[in-house]
Amino acid sequence: MPDGTEGPYPMNSGTGIYFDGITSARHEVVVELAPAGLRISGRDGRLWAEWPYDEIEELAAPDSMLRLGRRESATLERLEIRDPPFAAEIDARAIYVDRTGSLQRRQRMRVIGWSVGATASLVLVAWFGLPAIAARLAPILPASVERKMGDAVDMQVRGMLDTGKSGTRFECGTAAAEMPGRAALDKLVRRLEAAAALPIPLRTNVVRRDEANAIALPGGHVYVFRGLIAKADNADEIAGVIAHEIGHVAHRDGTKAMLEGAGLSFLFGMLLGDFVGGGAVVLAARNVLQSSYSREAEAAADTYGTDLMNRAGGNARALAVILDKTGGATEPGMKILMDHPETKARIASINKLAATRPSLPFLEASEWAALKQICAGS
Amino acid sequence: MASLDAGGIATSGGVRFLGQRRSYWRLLIRGAALLMVTLGIYRFWLATDVRRFLWSNTEIAGEALEYTGTALELLLGFLVAIALLIPVYAGFFLAALHLGILGKLSGIVAFAALAVLGQYAIYRARRYRLTRTIYRGLRFHQKGSAWAYAFRATLWWIVTVLSFGLAYPFQVASLERYKMGNTFYGDLAGSFEAPGLILFLRGFPMWLLFFSPLALAVRGFAGLDWQALADAVAQGGDDVMSKIEGGNPGLGSAIVFAMLMGGASISLAALLYPAFQTVVLRWWSSGLRFGDIEVRSHLRMRHVYGAYARFVGYATLFAIAMAIIGTAALVATGAATNVAKIDTSGQIATTLVLLIGYVITALGFSTIYRATVLLSLWQLGMESLQLSGLSALEKVKAGGRPSSAFGEGLADALNVGGY
Repeated sequence: MPDGTEGPYPMNSGTGIYFDGITSARHEVVVELAPAGLRISGRDGRLWAEWPYDEIEELAAPDSMLRLGRRESATLERLEIRDPPFAAEIDARAIYVDRTGSLQRRQRMRVIGWSVGATASLVLVAWFGLPAIAARLAPILPASVERKMGDAVDMQVRGMLDTGKSGTRFECGTAAAEMPGRAALDKLVRRLEAAAALPIPLRTNVVRRDEANAIALPGGHVYVFRGLIAKADNADEIAGVIAHEIGHVAHRDGTKAMLEGAGLSFLFGMLLGDFVGGGAVVLAARNVLQSSYSREAEAAADTYGTDLMNRAGGNARALAVILDKTGGATEPGMKILMDHPETKARIASINKLAATRPSLPFLEASEWAALKQICAGS
Repeated sequence: MASLDAGGIATSGGVRFLGQRRSYWRLLIRGAALLMVTLGIYRFWLATDVRRFLWSNTEIAGEALEYTGTALELLLGFLVAIALLIPVYAGFFLAALHLGILGKLSGIVAFAALAVLGQYAIYRARRYRLTRTIYRGLRFHQKGSAWAYAFRATLWWIVTVLSFGLAYPFQVASLERYKMGNTFYGDLAGSFEAPGLILFLRGFPMWLLFFSPLALAVRGFAGLDWQALADAVAQGGDDVMSKIEGGNPGLGSAIVFAMLMGGASISLAALLYPAFQTVVLRWWSSGLRFGDIEVRSHLRMRHVYGAYARFVGYATLFAIAMAIIGTAALVATGAATNVAKIDTSGQIATTLVLLIGYVITALGFSTIYRATVLLSLWQLGMESLQLSGLSALEKVKAGGRPSSAFGEGLADALNVGGY
């Protein structure tokens, strides 16, 4: 026992700084390595605390010091040891104190293991779970909700596609000179729609974009770009493309893609947090994932479109013809219809499914000529 | 004898920073690697490690701070925040689907609501950090209402934006008065005494330097014939540009002048930013009070510029290295997947390379920034402090309870986090 005077202490004791957790006063203390625990007493012999070895925990501190606390203590009492050999003595006795860091390393490895596992699970959910959820959710969405989603997307898509050049409308077929073209389009779409018997009405428009492309949005919007009309040699080719887009509408691909997009941006954006401005990562990840969603969707839409052309009595091979003409000729980011490497394979499978019996043309020659002029009004 | 036990405290003292730069680099680089493989989940552990390092190595008047927060608390707070935000986000998503007035307003309402919520989160996150900060065996804590703070902060932000930043010093002063007025070390109440006017006077020259090129640019446009310009745009047609030119021969030069002035403004802002930061940090530190304890800061501007210079140096080296490695990787994937016909697997490979490159680059810059600028600002800011009235430290009593990490989680989910 220290006798309260200055001088050498017994071998099994050292000095430290003690804070009792009740006031901020700093106490210089003598710490004794008693058999059951640490005895902390002031230089005047006053006993401040007795800490059993199995209740001592190590706390964050600078390298030069060992900071100890008492587990489950009601206060934040602290003991600081600045003498390394004495700190090593305490370390050897207290099971929760580990200056070698192996306890910490083990904990860290556990954390890493769990977070890698969580990451893998998230990626799996994004890759398999989200498409599955979206595929099951999309068909049971009421048509009114789908239409509202479609209208919301429609506004955005218009904003992106409509360059608003020279003050003309985005849709063709509204000016007087375009009316006959509009009528021809309506006739063509009516025949397809009758054969398709969709639960929601189609809203088909030709729009002023010069790419050879067409897109289907949730809720029955179909946009045919005027570049496609220019590339086509007869009405059946246009009908084939619209039949393909009706396939997307019937399969609710637009709705699925929207649900998947919302799920993805939620998973990777909010759940994982913006660790380095991850917004760009989210977008890129979404593109990678969605190009793989849409490849299967394209094949299914081809099958549907070919079948629909057969049922409507049109020439289903026309879809293969226009695919061949436009394949690979679109710009990046416009991969909705044409930009797929498997164009050859798609053409082959369309031709295999196409009926061989003679077909009935969709439009008369004069009507086809009018459709060609559907964007000529301005 | 109490006076022997107390060990005697000098009435004034400084702050030392004991951390090794090299250990901090190691901690951050390991953290960045783990952030990448865990898609960011590791950030709770990294944030905790960073705080433990900074707090433990900061020695105020001879005693090091202690951070007692844990990563699991942060993770839990984040999950709770997410659970709260899911219905909110779902509500906004559904509202956005409504056409009509509700759909049009939902974007604005969402922005406003999330802005207020972000301020709320900032206040609660500060409470979490304070109650996990231990000094001499006592914890800090924070009272006050997070909602009151959020509305106060939102109103101030509106005023600051409307005044082109002139109200900013008064905003910071007011918000700091609220925060520090509700901050306690044990039972020792904090306060904030630096007047906004001082910061305003020190910052005003910089504000003038930043805004005068912009004002000149606006004046350049004022001399134009706006009626003719509006007519030309309204008429449209293919020759709209030539009509605009005809009505306003000065337009072209005004646009060029405006771009030059805008560039000048941005360059000045970049050059002045460290000076501005120094001024704010010095002013802010010198306003901090705990009871009779007063703080003075004599932070040197050239030291802050030095920290930024180190950042620019490291960042440049890193950028060059990334450019070389990135080009090599793209060439390799391009060669492996045959560029001649761009197929889907090639596209995915290229996208993946770009994605990984982007993540590494972003993490790299953020690591360099933390290890140079942020660490230096912490170290310089702390070491420049001179404290007086420290005898108050002999008799502070414990007070306050640890708070939940919900605010931190919310701040994280809303991307308004701090240290």
